[in-house]
Amino acid sequence: MSTDTPSGTGSLGSFGILGWTERLSETQFAYLLLVPTFLILGVIAFWPLLRTFVISLHKDALIGSKTFGGFVGLQNYVNLLTGSGSVGAMLSRPFLPDVAITSTFPFVDVGNVFTSALSVTLIFAVVSVAFETVIGFGQALVLDQNFRGRRWVRVAIIVPWAVPVVIQGMIFFLMFQPDIGFVVTPLHQMGLISNTPLSSPQDSLFIVIVADIWKTSAFMALLILAGLQSIDRGLYDVAEVAGASAWQRFRMITLPLVLPTVLVAMLFRSIQAMRVFGIINTVTSCSTVPSLTCLTYTSWAQRLYGSSATVAFTTATIIAVLVGVYIVKYRGEGGL
Amino acid sequence: MATASESSEGPFTRWVQESITQPENTYRAMFYVVMVFFLFTTLFPFYWLLVLALTPNDAIRGLGLLPNGFNPGAFVRVFEVVPFHIYMLNSLILAGLTTLIVLLVASLAGYVFGRLSFPGKGVLMLAILAISYFPPAAFLIPLFRLFNGNVSITLFGQTINSPVLYNTPGAMVLPFTALFMPLSIFILTTFFSQIPDGLEDAARIEGTTRLGALFRVIIPLSAPGVATAGVLTFISVYNEYFFSFLMSDGQVAKTIFGIVSASNHWAPLLQGILSYQTQYAKFYNLMAAASIVGVLPVAILVVVAQEKIVSGLTAGALKE
Repeated sequence: MSTDTPSGTGSLGSFGILGWTERLSETQFAYLLLVPTFLILGVIAFWPLLRTFVISLHKDALIGSKTFGGFVGLQNYVNLLTGSGSVGAMLSRPFLPDVAITSTFPFVDVGNVFTSALSVTLIFAVVSVAFETVIGFGQALVLDQNFRGRRWVRVAIIVPWAVPVVIQGMIFFLMFQPDIGFVVTPLHQMGLISNTPLSSPQDSLFIVIVADIWKTSAFMALLILAGLQSIDRGLYDVAEVAGASAWQRFRMITLPLVLPTVLVAMLFRSIQAMRVFGIINTVTSCSTVPSLTCLTYTSWAQRLYGSSATVAFTTATIIAVLVGVYIVKYRGEGGL
Repeated sequence: MATASESSEGPFTRWVQESITQPENTYRAMFYVVMVFFLFTTLFPFYWLLVLALTPNDAIRGLGLLPNGFNPGAFVRVFEVVPFHIYMLNSLILAGLTTLIVLLVASLAGYVFGRLSFPGKGVLMLAILAISYFPPAAFLIPLFRLFNGNVSITLFGQTINSPVLYNTPGAMVLPFTALFMPLSIFILTTFFSQIPDGLEDAARIEGTTRLGALFRVIIPLSAPGVATAGVLTFISVYNEYFFSFLMSDGQVAKTIFGIVSASNHWAPLLQGILSYQTQYAKFYNLMAAASIVGVLPVAILVVVAQEKIVSGLTAGALKE
């Protein structure tokens, strides 16, 4: 089409394909440039997502070479939520037996794989995001000040964020090795952790949360710092002239203006925290601290593709619900 | 303050009075205390790694806060017991390759979303945004089958199997690209939309094509944004866990010349670090030394590019 029509843009016609793009309307040109993006996202993200959903509607193929068995509708989801059927039978090891304070832990059925994985993930997400928000806010307030050597303080505070998850995991794996002792012995003597913390579910969950707070507070700090720096400095001058104390300036200016940013940052972090896997797999193991992604991985490794897909898609749905609630609740404030 | 009152009130009372009359000084002091606390908590784990790495492994039990001996040889030993340099090189190549692809593709998308108006723009942007909400685990089963040649399509009566990408860069670079492209698209959309229309129009009147204007005017003018997207993508890939863990069986070439041979299964840094945990389970000094070596590339990148990282996360995270 391009070569035989006379070119309307002079010498440009000789460029062939470039000349052809010149004659497209803006809409056609926009869609043309988006082809590579959606080709990659289509094959690597959208198609697998749909496929995962389809596989989750099929039985596990326990024997033979097929990837999955017959169509069972939503049966896998029912099995997952009730801990019964083939999912329950294959995965019914109670992952967190000693988290239960009594045999009937107030709100968690520890015998059910899914509810224990869900509670592990939620405890991890809520506790780590809460601490990261507070610490990250503190770090952002420090970085927002002017002082000598600020550049290097900023580097020092950002660096944990850039540390690969596997090395972050290795740091805390080494720190809580009973052989080495400098952390484990005193904490054990205080009665806070057992003497082999990395094989105890509660201690490991605690260590994984501490590791996450160490690494990811910096990420929160960066996002909140961005919010702080967009506040109009004139407001502080006016408040100071009006006789407001430093605390009042923080309370009346900084906090309300930076709140939307903090909420967006918390949403980002919550989404990431709900996918936790790498740090658990490095510091301890998926059978000690079974997060939802751990459950997807272990059932996948056992070739229970139907069940694995069901867990994966359920995790995605929970995150989608979380995002939905967040956006509806804070629509006005967060500018989402 | 007279010297008489000093003796009658004592230094503590005087300090309290001063801090009440001059609260700014107190805030300043508090600020430095808090800053030192943050520096200590973020940097201490690195110091601890160094202590472990420098202590000979047979002296490591019951180690205190100082190295028990001095054994810098661990940093050499790390490369001898495991081809750690190959794992690192694989990771750096995978990160570089992903960054290139992401920048190229996201530049086109950023141009479209930042500078063109067309029907369906909002919906398409939302579709890209949605990708970053899904856990990587939700892509795993189909992608693993796809990369192992187990997915086939039938075209014109011909059945074509998907190429076997497992243990090749493709099996990691493609998922990384899909995972990290959304953030780069946001960053570039923001930067591109801030270029005044006049500059692009001027280039077009001079006879430049649309794509020419993108690559010769818009992208050069948004160089800080492109650099930011590049740095963030590179760090994200280097840090990635899920697909790095699952899309290679962990084997690497023995020598640097074998890196493009079939014996190199493109196992990234992650597999190198984990191999100490499985094969050299009690060599804590080697694990620590390997961790320090592995962190160096990103630590250097943070020192060099901290401004870009801050501005990029600002643009990417707050501009939706």
